[in-house]
Amino acid sequence: MKIKNIIIFSIISSLLLLSLISIWKILSTLQGVKLDNLNFQILFILGFLVTFLNVIIEKKINFLIRLFIFSFIFIFIDGYLIQNLPFWYNFGSFLIICLFFNKLKKYNNDFFINEHSTQTIIFDFLTLFGIVLFSFVILFPFYMMLVTSFKTQIALLVNPLDFSINFNQDIKELFKSYFVIFKSYKFGKYILTSTIVSLGTVLITLLFAIPAAYAIARLNFFGKSFMSTSILIIYMFPAIVLVIPLYTVFSQLGLRNSIFGLLIVYTATTLPVAIYMLQGYFKSIPKELEEAAILDKLSWFGIIIKIILPLSIPAISSVALYVFMIAWNEFLFSLMFLDNPNSFTLSRAIQYLSGDAETPRQYLMAGSVIVTLPVLFIFVYFEKYLVSGLTAGSVKG
Amino acid sequence: MSNIKFNNVNKSFGSNKIIKNFNFEGNDDEFLVLVGPSGCGKSTLLRMIAGLEKIDEGEIKINENLINNLHPSKRETAMVFQSYALYPHMNVYENMSFGLQIEKKSKDEIKSKVSNAAKILKIEDLLSRKPKELSGGQRQRVAIGRAITRNPKIFLFDEPLSNLDAALRAEMRVEISKLHQKIKTNMIYVTHDQVEAMTLADRIVILNEGKIEQVGTPEEIYNNPDNIFVAQFIGTPKMNIFEIKPEDVVSNKIIKILGNEIQFNKYNIEKKKYYIGIRPEHFDIDDHSEYEFSPKIDLVENLGNEKIVYMTKDKHQLSAKISSKSEIKNSFKFSFKNIFIFNENGERLRS
Repeated sequence: MKIKNIIIFSIISSLLLLSLISIWKILSTLQGVKLDNLNFQILFILGFLVTFLNVIIEKKINFLIRLFIFSFIFIFIDGYLIQNLPFWYNFGSFLIICLFFNKLKKYNNDFFINEHSTQTIIFDFLTLFGIVLFSFVILFPFYMMLVTSFKTQIALLVNPLDFSINFNQDIKELFKSYFVIFKSYKFGKYILTSTIVSLGTVLITLLFAIPAAYAIARLNFFGKSFMSTSILIIYMFPAIVLVIPLYTVFSQLGLRNSIFGLLIVYTATTLPVAIYMLQGYFKSIPKELEEAAILDKLSWFGIIIKIILPLSIPAISSVALYVFMIAWNEFLFSLMFLDNPNSFTLSRAIQYLSGDAETPRQYLMAGSVIVTLPVLFIFVYFEKYLVSGLTAGSVKG
Repeated sequence: MSNIKFNNVNKSFGSNKIIKNFNFEGNDDEFLVLVGPSGCGKSTLLRMIAGLEKIDEGEIKINENLINNLHPSKRETAMVFQSYALYPHMNVYENMSFGLQIEKKSKDEIKSKVSNAAKILKIEDLLSRKPKELSGGQRQRVAIGRAITRNPKIFLFDEPLSNLDAALRAEMRVEISKLHQKIKTNMIYVTHDQVEAMTLADRIVILNEGKIEQVGTPEEIYNNPDNIFVAQFIGTPKMNIFEIKPEDVVSNKIIKILGNEIQFNKYNIEKKKYYIGIRPEHFDIDDHSEYEFSPKIDLVENLGNEKIVYMTKDKHQLSAKISSKSEIKNSFKFSFKNIFIFNENGERLRS
């Protein structure tokens, strides 16, 4: 039983090591390392032996010493004997192996005695695989975007596939694209427009969604169930169907090229999901709390402001985040409704730039980075509010 | 001084009639316990007093003032919920003072009221904590404290102890009893736990399917039940009820019960079906009761200070509660004064 567990463990963990090292190799080719072959078989066998031996001699040698011995063996064979690779590559793979061994720490001999340890191993490593591959897939395009934005026109023309960043140049030179898009392409104004539109959408949507969601969650009125189901049906309409009729209507009303027009459309598109998300959360707030508030002489309006809102901060902030991202990234409506560069949003501005053949690619990428960064930062900041559990302790628990 | 009065109160949810023609008159400042099986409408009744549930028909009066159409906040009642319903985002002080703050009372008044309530309930050192940092018993104390600060005419308790564990429940029961002695005001307490009902109540109202089965002091309810439902509802294990067939009626004064021919002088007994009730604690082994029978013993549960004996006699399933010291023999005794007779509709025969 035990030896079978160890072998399965070694196979799976060496596969993980293999994928980690392969990703590292792919990334390093982008920095100019020449590789003809990824040497999967040799890496796999090497990884298998290393992890297997690691478990076998676990009791005899201290963890740190084992770590150094094995990683040196691995790097020596992989980075020196097979292919003579530069020092920074080997240092990188050393760090990866350290990380890898650190993960292996908990799988000691006592662990393998358990009969169900195979299952635990498989699940643990599947999640690790998932994390590694997923982050690679997500981060790689972003990395490309970032790298391109730091390049000069000449460098791009010389070697478009070179993904390394030249850090030796002057800082001003490095961030040149960013200076340019703010100076010559008026990105500051676009950012301002996008911010106003997005924040405005968030505010208006919440203003309508909170009372509506509360009504659907708590009050009884005629057609309530029809209302709550039809909310999502509205959301099922593809935007492209609505764009053309809206275009004619907005043209006649003079709402084209205006932020106000965009606010109306964005609110209308985000409201259904916002209501749906909020009413689900409101329903989970214990009804007794509101009854207690009624007995405390609070009006309906007071209940929403003083009881429901403070308790719904996680839900409201996630809805706000969702609405903000939709409005910030929205493209179709802004493409249709905005023709005048003075009222462009960011996504519309980038489309405008890329439509122009004269615009260098690094400027486009710099613009894309600027579109992406705020959403990223907001997400990181709001993440702590997204953790629910604020109602803990109010009722039995 | 306050009392409550119900006048032909009706309530239904959809086609389901929960409260049927409820009439009741409370005494001044009494501790009233509404007790009954789940679904009998006791919580609905309480919520109707509080104003959380509309009154379909009839009148509810507090101190002779009709409260049917008053807003919940103007009824001068305070409710303690089963799930405590403390505001999770406020600390204990804020929770207790919330209602007063909404009424825009002065800061000094709020402070004195809250600290007074906190003193009564011994939660003075918890005032700055959030509800989630409190234990179940402490949370319920805070909920009661919140009710006290409102200075209500009537306290409403909706199964306040059923979320607590057994030991804490016993402790809080005593606390609530003391509280009633301290602040002498009307309290209406809903529970399905007969122990709480018996220990706390000045008067018990036993409800079943939206109707009053019996109203009375705990002693009256226990010693003098009006019908089989009440007789079986109060007392653990529940009262033994067994059927008497017309052929067991020997004459219009004599019935054959568990093999004994027993003479009832007070009642006029016809050749009909009757039900006989005897409480498990009234079966005994050693004492000198008049009547005796020998059942087949199925099971004995030893609870330490007493034993519960499950037995069968003439196809009747019976139980007996006896002292654990007494040795179990194949014969049980019972006396005449402990026999209850009910007619075929389950109502007690009265002389």
